[in-house]
Amino acid sequence: MDLGFWTLQALNALQLSMLLFLLSIGLTVIFGLMHFVNLAHGSLYALGAYFGASLAAAGGYWTGFFLAPVAVMAVGLVLYTLLIRRMRKSGPMAQVLVTFGLIFALLDLTRIVWGDLGLPMNAPDILSGRVAFLGIEYPAYRLFVVALGLGVFAALAYVLSRTQIGAMIRAGVDNDAMAACLGINVERLFFIVFCVGCALAGLAGTVAAPLLSVTPDMGLHILIPTLIVIVIGGLGSLKGAIAGSLIYGFVQTFGAVLAPQLASMLIYGLLAAVLVIKPAGLFPAKG
Amino acid sequence: MFRHNTLRYGALVLLAAGALAHAFTAGYFGLEILTEILILAILVLALDMVAGFGGMVSLCHGALMGVGAYAFALLSTKAGISVPLSMVAAVAITGAGAWVIGTVCARSHGIYFIMATLAFGQMAYSYVFEAPIFGGDDGLGGISRPDLSLVGIDLDDSRSFALFCLAALALVYGAAVITLRSGLGRSLSGVMHNAQRMRALGLTVWRVKADVFGVSGMIAGLAGVLAAQHSMYISPGLLNWTVSGEALVVVILGGLGTLVGPLVGAAAFVVLKHEVSALTSYWHLVVGGILIAVVLSRANGIFGWVEARWGAKLDRRLADTTRGTEAQEVTGDA
Amino acid sequence: MKRALLAGIGLATSLAVTTASADEIKVGMLLPYSGVYAALGGEIETGFNIALETFGGDTDATFTLVSEDTEVKPPVALGKAKKLILQDKVDVMVGIVSSGVLGAVRDMVDGAGVPLVVANAGNDEATGAACSPYITRMSFSNQQVNRPMGGWMKEQGINKVFTLAPDYAAGRQMIDAFTASFTAAGGEVVGQEFTPFQKTQDFGPYLAQAKASGADAVYVFYAGGEAISFVKQYDSFGLKADMPLYGSGFLTSPLYVNAEGPAAEGVITALHYVPTIDSPENAAFVAAFKAKTDRMPSEFAVQGYDAARALIEATKAGATDRASLANALRQVSFAGPRGATSIDPATNNIVQPIYVYQTVADEGGLTQKVLATLPAERDPANGCDMAPVAN
Repeated sequence: MDLGFWTLQALNALQLSMLLFLLSIGLTVIFGLMHFVNLAHGSLYALGAYFGASLAAAGGYWTGFFLAPVAVMAVGLVLYTLLIRRMRKSGPMAQVLVTFGLIFALLDLTRIVWGDLGLPMNAPDILSGRVAFLGIEYPAYRLFVVALGLGVFAALAYVLSRTQIGAMIRAGVDNDAMAACLGINVERLFFIVFCVGCALAGLAGTVAAPLLSVTPDMGLHILIPTLIVIVIGGLGSLKGAIAGSLIYGFVQTFGAVLAPQLASMLIYGLLAAVLVIKPAGLFPAKG
Repeated sequence: MFRHNTLRYGALVLLAAGALAHAFTAGYFGLEILTEILILAILVLALDMVAGFGGMVSLCHGALMGVGAYAFALLSTKAGISVPLSMVAAVAITGAGAWVIGTVCARSHGIYFIMATLAFGQMAYSYVFEAPIFGGDDGLGGISRPDLSLVGIDLDDSRSFALFCLAALALVYGAAVITLRSGLGRSLSGVMHNAQRMRALGLTVWRVKADVFGVSGMIAGLAGVLAAQHSMYISPGLLNWTVSGEALVVVILGGLGTLVGPLVGAAAFVVLKHEVSALTSYWHLVVGGILIAVVLSRANGIFGWVEARWGAKLDRRLADTTRGTEAQEVTGDA
Repeated sequence: MKRALLAGIGLATSLAVTTASADEIKVGMLLPYSGVYAALGGEIETGFNIALETFGGDTDATFTLVSEDTEVKPPVALGKAKKLILQDKVDVMVGIVSSGVLGAVRDMVDGAGVPLVVANAGNDEATGAACSPYITRMSFSNQQVNRPMGGWMKEQGINKVFTLAPDYAAGRQMIDAFTASFTAAGGEVVGQEFTPFQKTQDFGPYLAQAKASGADAVYVFYAGGEAISFVKQYDSFGLKADMPLYGSGFLTSPLYVNAEGPAAEGVITALHYVPTIDSPENAAFVAAFKAKTDRMPSEFAVQGYDAARALIEATKAGATDRASLANALRQVSFAGPRGATSIDPATNNIVQPIYVYQTVADEGGLTQKVLATLPAERDPANGCDMAPVAN
């Protein structure tokens, strides 16, 4: 296999990593800050894809791209007010249960509103071609996903390290009681973080829809990879999310190429190994 | 530590009576549902042991059940070992596997522990799905039930098999109570409340966790064996994490840490699923909504709620009538 | 012992049933109505009901339906099957989408002597080593749909092929059937990959391998959501120009081909049914389906349609209870939307022509252009050893 083949696979790995990053960053900061296990994050991703597909059918890809995250954020807002706010102080078991129930409910709601069949969604025309470089031709849309992921990473890194709200978030993740004592409105911070996390999940869904398929169970399929990413990477930190995403993307992609029979077990083995050696993940926010 | 109180005894009697009555009056499908409830009850009992009494929330118990089922199936159909021996071996294998998982995961807590067990469960699932010896997606058939013709019982009859499962459940319940009341169980209680203190007292914490996880695994393995015998056919879907998730749902629905609660939860969950799916194909929505409502109510599941409201009153009233000649039971201990 | 018991139960209940009107046939529909496969279950049932409306008048028998949700979970399906057989006392069962579920209920159905018309599950063994005089299949077998493509593709001048399929029993059976006939015709399979079933969403790594293999074409089997993802990704990598995409028709099934969009154009596949078959029977079926659902029927719909038709034909031949229905179903033969449709009593599998078609675009969306009609072939016995039909 020549250099072109390996470049192709490396780009595949990068694209998968960026997609998972968009999903995991929302989930990890929600957990790191609010200590809330949101298993329904995958369902929000699915909602993003469905909203995106419907909006794109009405007004073109970019309508979906910009409005679907907003729609999912609205759903997140409703969920937060009605449900999440009350559950925040409960232990992980109650949270697991409530969000598990939410997965069930959202799954059927999706079926009721959009039906059982898959929905079409196509990449926009300017991104449907291929780009030639380094001796290979790679789909432009996948490069867009990579660029988007890196862009979001850069933006979040900037916000978290250079702005006041970023500092407040980091303080809250570190010790929310102390942060509240210092006069930070931690409740409002949680609310903002939760909504942004939902918007990012919706964005991931909309962006993934032209690549993968829009079916009712897509949320369930992406949930486990997302959880693996944040646990390997370490909860609550941006560095953890990007590290976990990259590790997962590359292990999964190159595992599929080099050892297809072992590929499915490989990533779980890696997860188990990380948890044994570093129980809190590689780059957790605390300690 | 686990104590019985009047309410729990009462609930057990009611459940046993209900099961027996149903076994002798229900039609074929009723017996199917009863058997399903009994097997699920055994599984969630195993889960409550570790989650409710040990604080170890596990998402791999479905996989453990699957391991028991597949071990039994392979030993009895492909390796030609007799059914009773295969049953014992399958339970032992699952227990050993669970012990290993418990050891490896002992250092993790909270969400990390959940994820670690999920990882192991999914590894088992992937392996069983892909290795050809397990039959893959098409599953394994031709499984047979134990031959009790020596005592005049035919387990191929639905009612006899349901009663067989009921007996197994009673046995398992007893074993769970004994374990939780033993030194191991008391150590587990201490570990759940403050592992640091237990370590200071000289206890090997990981050993306690692993041992209990092992016992729990054996029970889950038995559930798997019975499940395999019930359908006489198994497929990898048994090991998927959603099965473990459902088991967790049942435990919390029934009442975590009460041991009796999960039994109630199992009955409620199975009946609910069947009733709702007969009415609509969107039963996921209904079940999800009910779960959310139960959790929001802040009660410890159905049985936990009942216990909280009436447990104390019941015991006080009984203590009054016996005029202090018996020791007063402490209520609501979990 | 177990079989004798089940047979005893079956006999007892069938004796009880004959006290009712001999022309009332109770049909148990065993399909997924919830979850991921609900779309297929619904499609099959719609086809079934349309056939009952269209052809019900041809026979004296009346049909009452009892539906149960299998959830595509074998233990659940088995419980529901037991209910249908032992409690509802149905005369015949129709359905079964997944081969796993079929494997679970097979022994029960065979032991209880209840005829089962399989309306989807394509597992080769069901009409091979695990065949039963009570199980007739009106849908397809995995090998039947893929075998003819081997010879056809070689005739088109394709010499080297790379295959891809999900790694589970059906995937392997489909590819094995193709590989056997393709190599027998003189072709060469230069690479073969099996992707983790239902866990693969990104086919990029495998597509890169296909490209590097130097094959003339790629032959795949994927269905449902995986098919949608695969076709779109194949197109996005621009592989169609140098390595045209072929496969088993489930890849571009009318049920979800529109979700694939322009990416599906030009893909050539083979299937036992496409809505564009040019025949009066098919025209009638398509019209009736469109009137009911406002879209074109898929192969799943015609499977349900033909299952009902087979049942009706069996009652026209005089069958009234479980035993006679089972016997009559094995000899069913009629001209349906797929062409000449009949059951081969040696295996109880359907015998039907296979259509090679290309997905093309027209004003209404994507449609199927039939390129060739390959003649019907009986499946080899594959270990099936049944008593011949009693006449």
